[in-house]
Amino acid sequence: MRAIDRNLGSCPVCHQLVHFPKRDPEHVAAYCPRCGSEVFPRKRSSLEYTLALTLASIVFYIPANLLPMMHVHTFAGTQSDTIMSGVIYFLETGSYLIGFVIFVASIFVPVLKMLILLYLVHSVRTGKSRFPKERQRLYLLTEIIGRWSMVDVFVVSIMIALVHFGGLSSIEAGTGAVFFLLVVIVTMLAAMAFDPRLIWDPTKEHHAH
Amino acid sequence: MEAHIVCCHECDELSTIPRPLRPGRYKCPNCGHTLFRHRPGMIEKLYAMSVAALILFLVTNYFPFLSFEVFGNSTDANFTTAVQYLYEEQDYLLAVALLMTTVVIPFAQIFLLLLLLGPLYHGRVPYYAPEMMKVLEAITPWAMLDVFLVGVLVSIVKLVKMGTIIPGTSLWAFASLILILAYAQSIYDPHPIWEKIEEGQNEGRVKRYVERDA
Repeated sequence: MRAIDRNLGSCPVCHQLVHFPKRDPEHVAAYCPRCGSEVFPRKRSSLEYTLALTLASIVFYIPANLLPMMHVHTFAGTQSDTIMSGVIYFLETGSYLIGFVIFVASIFVPVLKMLILLYLVHSVRTGKSRFPKERQRLYLLTEIIGRWSMVDVFVVSIMIALVHFGGLSSIEAGTGAVFFLLVVIVTMLAAMAFDPRLIWDPTKEHHAH
Repeated sequence: MEAHIVCCHECDELSTIPRPLRPGRYKCPNCGHTLFRHRPGMIEKLYAMSVAALILFLVTNYFPFLSFEVFGNSTDANFTTAVQYLYEEQDYLLAVALLMTTVVIPFAQIFLLLLLLGPLYHGRVPYYAPEMMKVLEAITPWAMLDVFLVGVLVSIVKLVKMGTIIPGTSLWAFASLILILAYAQSIYDPHPIWEKIEEGQNEGRVKRYVERDA
């Protein structure tokens, strides 16, 4: 039995069970008596927000990959590194594990997250009722892995902090790092905007009839 | 408390939980997601962990975590060194994001946990406990110290060919901090805290929210 079928909902913050006022079924909202948060049966405009933020992250992802993450200034000149050139550098110098970590965190994870979110939005919009459990797992995966993409931004910051020898050699953050940061923030917001209960709704409506 | 009905956050399924609770994990009968975990002694353990975390956090931020040496020149880095340089280079967005995810939010997290759990441990509920829990809930996804640790490891490998990397005093404190935070995260469950808050509200000792209609 779904909570929404009984005019109930749970508080997004403290998980308190809340009764919705019955007046207007389209615009129900209640206030949690325990923590005062506003409670809606489903996150509002969940699909629209998720889709918009995911598309924004795809837009940010292009300059994040094309523009340099950092500029390395040495007495020999300036060298600029993009995400991919960093990965290739590690693979060429034999640091396979680190190359793999950077590849997974900076390229594989963001792309996977965007694809999963697009797929989930699509599957909910078309009212798909098969494989709800698998799709829920995909959603939980995007929630868990999202923050790990920050690794590359942190690596750039630590390099900046450590390689700081005045005119001799120094490292400067590139514009790519800013866009990459935006990708991580926006994909995290996109995952938060998605309401996993929407995945289950078609399956339960099916049972109710 | 009468029959305890819980609503699954992932799939909206209602399920009845028999009282008294037995220790362990309660799962949603529909989707299998964890509804909540009942762990007697969670507040005591979490309190201990947050005291340890606060000490380690202060040590971590006070001492440099890495030193780097090339041709006799050496640099030290602690958590705010990069923030300072990024700020000087006018990369404000990166500077703010770095400061928030690795210093401000983790500290706020530990500090709020202490403010909450200290009184709870002594059987009291702070008046603003609901607000503190709300802030805690909102900031938790943005604390990224564990990701930062991986960043440190990657940077070490990246720099080791360019010069000498010397692990600083705080690197060990930092690694322990991550372990403690990971353990605290694994036992943390907000439900018992909210139940204590509710008891406090019923007795009029904790901030209450008037029921309003939308």
